[in-house]
Amino acid sequence: MSSSTTTSRTTSLRTTSGRRRTRAGIVAGATALVLLTAGCSGGTRVGGDAPEAASGDDAGLGDVTGEIRLAYWGSGSRVDLTNGVSDLFVAENEGVSVTPEFTDFAAYFQRLNVQASSGGMACITQLQGRQLNDYAGQGLLLDLQPLVDSGAIDVSGIPEDVLDTGRGTDGALYEIPYGAAYDAIMVNTTLAEEAGVGSPADGWTWQEFFDYARAAQGSLPEGVSGVNLLGGHPNTFIEWLRGRGQEVFEGTEAAFSADDVVEYWSIWEGLRGDGVTISAPDRAAEAAQVEQSWIAQGRVMSDNKPGNQIGQAQGAIEGAQPGQELTTVQLPRGEDGSSSTVLFTSGWSIPRSCDNVPTAAAYIDFWINDPEANALFASNNGAVTNTEMLQAQLDDESLDPATRQTLELYQEIVEDEPPTVLYPAGYQANFETAFQRAYEDVALNGADPQATAESFVENLDAALASA
Amino acid sequence: MTTTPSRSTAPAPRGSGVHPAARPVVAPRRPSQAAVVRALSRHAVLICVLAVVLYPLLWMVGASFRPGNEAFGTLGLWPDNFTLDNYRDGWSYGSLNFSRYFVNSLVISALAIVGNVVSCALAAYAFARLDFPFRRVLFALVLATLLLPYQVTIVPQYVLFNQLAWINTILPLTVPKFLATDAFFVFLMVQFIRTLPRELDEAARLDGCGHLGIFLRIVVPLSLPAIGTTAMFTFIRTWDDFLGPLLYLNNPDRWTVTLGLNGFLDATGTSAFGPLFAMATLAIAPIVGFFLVSQKLLIEGVATSGLK
Repeated sequence: MSSSTTTSRTTSLRTTSGRRRTRAGIVAGATALVLLTAGCSGGTRVGGDAPEAASGDDAGLGDVTGEIRLAYWGSGSRVDLTNGVSDLFVAENEGVSVTPEFTDFAAYFQRLNVQASSGGMACITQLQGRQLNDYAGQGLLLDLQPLVDSGAIDVSGIPEDVLDTGRGTDGALYEIPYGAAYDAIMVNTTLAEEAGVGSPADGWTWQEFFDYARAAQGSLPEGVSGVNLLGGHPNTFIEWLRGRGQEVFEGTEAAFSADDVVEYWSIWEGLRGDGVTISAPDRAAEAAQVEQSWIAQGRVMSDNKPGNQIGQAQGAIEGAQPGQELTTVQLPRGEDGSSSTVLFTSGWSIPRSCDNVPTAAAYIDFWINDPEANALFASNNGAVTNTEMLQAQLDDESLDPATRQTLELYQEIVEDEPPTVLYPAGYQANFETAFQRAYEDVALNGADPQATAESFVENLDAALASA
Repeated sequence: MTTTPSRSTAPAPRGSGVHPAARPVVAPRRPSQAAVVRALSRHAVLICVLAVVLYPLLWMVGASFRPGNEAFGTLGLWPDNFTLDNYRDGWSYGSLNFSRYFVNSLVISALAIVGNVVSCALAAYAFARLDFPFRRVLFALVLATLLLPYQVTIVPQYVLFNQLAWINTILPLTVPKFLATDAFFVFLMVQFIRTLPRELDEAARLDGCGHLGIFLRIVVPLSLPAIGTTAMFTFIRTWDDFLGPLLYLNNPDRWTVTLGLNGFLDATGTSAFGPLFAMATLAIAPIVGFFLVSQKLLIEGVATSGLK
């Protein structure tokens, strides 16, 4: 310990050690600066022009052969099912091999970002509408419209509104959506019955939804709230806007105003003040995984949740509160009855750096249209978008009840011509957490809603403009 | 700063070389009641803190013995419905295969330890003992790399390894360790070697040792605490590393334990928490074991190299 302050003896023997040390310090500083600037300078984008096979009358048509990489998020059974689909594809196309690359949703995007910035994206890459423009905007993805026009990928089974969720802000088709997720109101029917409010009415409005929770509150058991606190939930805000017929984004700008945000927050602050929602600290402490969420633990009677999570939520509540039942109902509608439900689709994209477009296109076409493959995958990642396949799955009597519930609700939603939201590049990074944080500032710290909303919208516009 | 070799003897054990007048001498006597109370309350506080720190870990171990859907229902540690199913199911869950992941992780960790210990010790010896042009500048450069956050170099590294066609091999995770790229360990060992008396080197030289001889016969045996520390930290870092394997090991056959654990989770599908907790419990076992075995070396290494 005593020696740690003494520098090495070699230098202490030198008479010029002081000067040398200064010089070394300068060099070290300069080096650090160079390293830092090198590290922080603009991104490196690798990736050439669109391959020849991706344009013209025969776009995406050609020899289906060779090795191809398939990147997607998922775990457990989804991996087995996807491998099964790939095996079917390989059986039909001799000389092709499909190498899967899969990981959890969050980690998937960590890896994808590194691969994208170095031209190493898999030829068939799974994306979602919410992140699509982050990649399409950088010119990383192939416009798939020519491949559709040439017949390489047949999308005739997918409803137009659903296909549109795979478009970029420039209107080009960057993703072929195969599985559609949507939000729904998850209701604990056991608690609702006990509280005497019964099941929600068909085609309810947002006001009826708030009243429903309010009516139940007095008769719910101690520690259980009528509804989760959704003032900071980005999806609910977007859906509430769409129910009023308002656009959410126009190009790369927010199409809503700070006043809209304040109005939305005031609804939730009113409910929170009356004790209809869980407390703000409890909301902030809620875990991200559905199994740990308050609705799946029996702490709230209703919540806005992805419709396809009903199976996991029901499984968790059977462990936490034996005997309680959950169900999902369509999101409330606007006053004029128009649908609020925004579809979140997962689909396949082809990067511009792909060197085997014909095989990638053939795989995507197979994935969307092959009856056997779709029967096997069975809407494992959102309701299948191909209407024919959807009907086939609903007709299958061995379908498990949770998936049936998800698919039936989806079928209802699609018949309603659901509104489409095109998420601009930078949405994920600049909207979701910022909106939640802004509301927490109001609910937890008592910040002024007007000022908070204004600064939120201002920051959002600035961030989207530069994304 | 003095030129007299005042540190010519090996560092004396703590306290023994201190002048008696340097600190008050307390007459040996029975500890008073107040002292006992103080000691007891201090221990009580420490035990409480320990319980708080360990609670999440113990909860996880407890949850690994509960049926999957009861995992989150309770804050209690002891499972009501004790089951070993999570361990049975988790070891080969669906397409996951933990026998393979543990072997992969062990191979990568072992290579990383060997690489780091050998290369960092050699580099440190050079910086601490050899006189060569630009030594100080080069050392400053090595230290400057400590300033670079890992994230900054990810993309250039990925491009490089991609060009070398090393994706899907363990090379990107192990080869750099043999090139003394972990500046922290180089620094740690340089500091340690500098505390070793030079007279030993000189004596060895008189007996006919070259640099290799001095390094192997004098420096390495005396630097064992620092080498142990390096091995320990390298093991923990490599074993726990997620981003590196995530980027470079896409093929499930080459996955490490951390990637396997991540394979239980899925935000858009069904997560398997019971098996996840079971395998996570197994995954921390080697670290706890390694730590218990080498903690004496570790603490000695940290204490004697003047790093806190």
